[in-house]
Amino acid sequence: MTDTEKKLQDKAKELLEQGKVEHIIGYAAGSLKFTTTPLITKDKDDARQLVINPFIVNNLSVFLNDIKGKIGIVAKPCDARSIVSLLQDQQVARENLVILGLPCQGLIDLRKVERLTGKDRDDIDDITRNGDKVTVTTGGKTQKFAAKEVIFDDCLSCETPTPPEYDFLFGEPSSATDKELGRKNIKELEAMSPQQRWDFWKQEFSRCIRCYACRQVCPACFCTRCFIEETEPQWLSPLPRWQDNLLFQTTRMLHVAGRCTDCGECERVCPVNIPLRSISKKVEEIVDELFQYKAGMDKNAERFMTAYEPSEAEDLMR
Amino acid sequence: MSQESKWEPKLLGFLCKWCSYAGADLAGTSRKKYPANIRIVKIPCSGRIDPLFVAKALRMGFDGVLVSGCHPGDCHYQTGNYRARRRIAITKRLMEYMGIEPERLQASWVSASEGDKWAQVVTEVTKGVKEVGPNRLFDDDGHRKEAAGQS
Ligand code: SF4
Ligand code: SF4
Repeated sequence: MTDTEKKLQDKAKELLEQGKVEHIIGYAAGSLKFTTTPLITKDKDDARQLVINPFIVNNLSVFLNDIKGKIGIVAKPCDARSIVSLLQDQQVARENLVILGLPCQGLIDLRKVERLTGKDRDDIDDITRNGDKVTVTTGGKTQKFAAKEVIFDDCLSCETPTPPEYDFLFGEPSSATDKELGRKNIKELEAMSPQQRWDFWKQEFSRCIRCYACRQVCPACFCTRCFIEETEPQWLSPLPRWQDNLLFQTTRMLHVAGRCTDCGECERVCPVNIPLRSISKKVEEIVDELFQYKAGMDKNAERFMTAYEPSEAEDLMR
Repeated sequence: MSQESKWEPKLLGFLCKWCSYAGADLAGTSRKKYPANIRIVKIPCSGRIDPLFVAKALRMGFDGVLVSGCHPGDCHYQTGNYRARRRIAITKRLMEYMGIEPERLQASWVSASEGDKWAQVVTEVTKGVKEVGPNRLFDDDGHRKEAAGQS
């Protein structure tokens, strides 16, 4: 247990004990190596299970859509941005939240580690991060990598090493970002012809099995009834055909435009590895480029979808 | 080849009931001539437009979609048209990125008194979408390559 973890645990325990919150939402060690699992508890003794490490991938703000009452929630910067977005959308009330903010240096992408070491995660004994270096130990042998090589693409693109909204902060901000590297896939797509891009997405979405994990894990997808389940009219077929899969996802991404914070969860949970972040990140860029708006940065800002400037985007109107 | 030259685009229009729908009505009652390529859906406000409508229309095989509402400042609900404009702007850009011709989505401001403008907008949009060609996006094979080969 690190000092920072200890401080977080103590604070969580204190909040529960003093009745300041009814629930704590945080991360506990997962059942598999290099994983964590969401911890949602009312029991002050559970606070000691809380962990902070480079594998806390879940965007816990998604649970705020289900759990009511006063909540203490552990939040990385991207998660905190999702919370801000939920505040803007009036899905949660600020006075019901105690935000336990974590500055973030980027999370480690196990797939990248596996690729670089040529080892399966089960055969890796240890992964530790120290500043800009990540050390991987396998069977007594150690290998060192630059953090940039092994953190998630969305972390490489991250511009918010510190949560934009918090009540308590645990740890020191620092980051190892590389914007160009973070948008490598997007750049490749942009270089293609429209026909090639369409063929690419057609291929990718041929694999979609419509598990809707991408939507379920998304804090911005909080609709009680999603359009994809509507039957009168039935907007798109529920059958997993590539055509409807592609349109479902394109529409979903547009629905969460201006609220998506590029946390990368949809891409991480997709069981068939569709590069969803290559869409969400692009939407984020479009929103910023056309309307100079970044999701979840300021709880008092007018929401992207309802804000306007009378003279904007006139060039596309006849 | 001959099949292709006879092809006429099929357009779907989403018109707000306060301005553009009335404008289209005026074009009709004043016997303005414009291409019969468009089918019209009346919506309460252009702000009702959802990218989903565009997705559905394209999936149904429409070659183009036109959204039309009141001029800036004239929206019956004050801001619906501004909100529609934002949504359309990002939708067009994402369409392009996915590989769908952004020209298939068009937008206009047409007031209740602009029957002439309505006729002109439909004429232009029909011409524009004709240049882009038939919507073969969702054909299971070939689509645009085939379309290009035919023209
Ligand atoms: S998570 Fe992947 S497979 Fe599941 S619905 Fe989303 S895109 Fe399709
Ligand atoms: S995809 Fe759209 S309708 Fe469905 S839950 Fe997300 S925001 Fe709501």
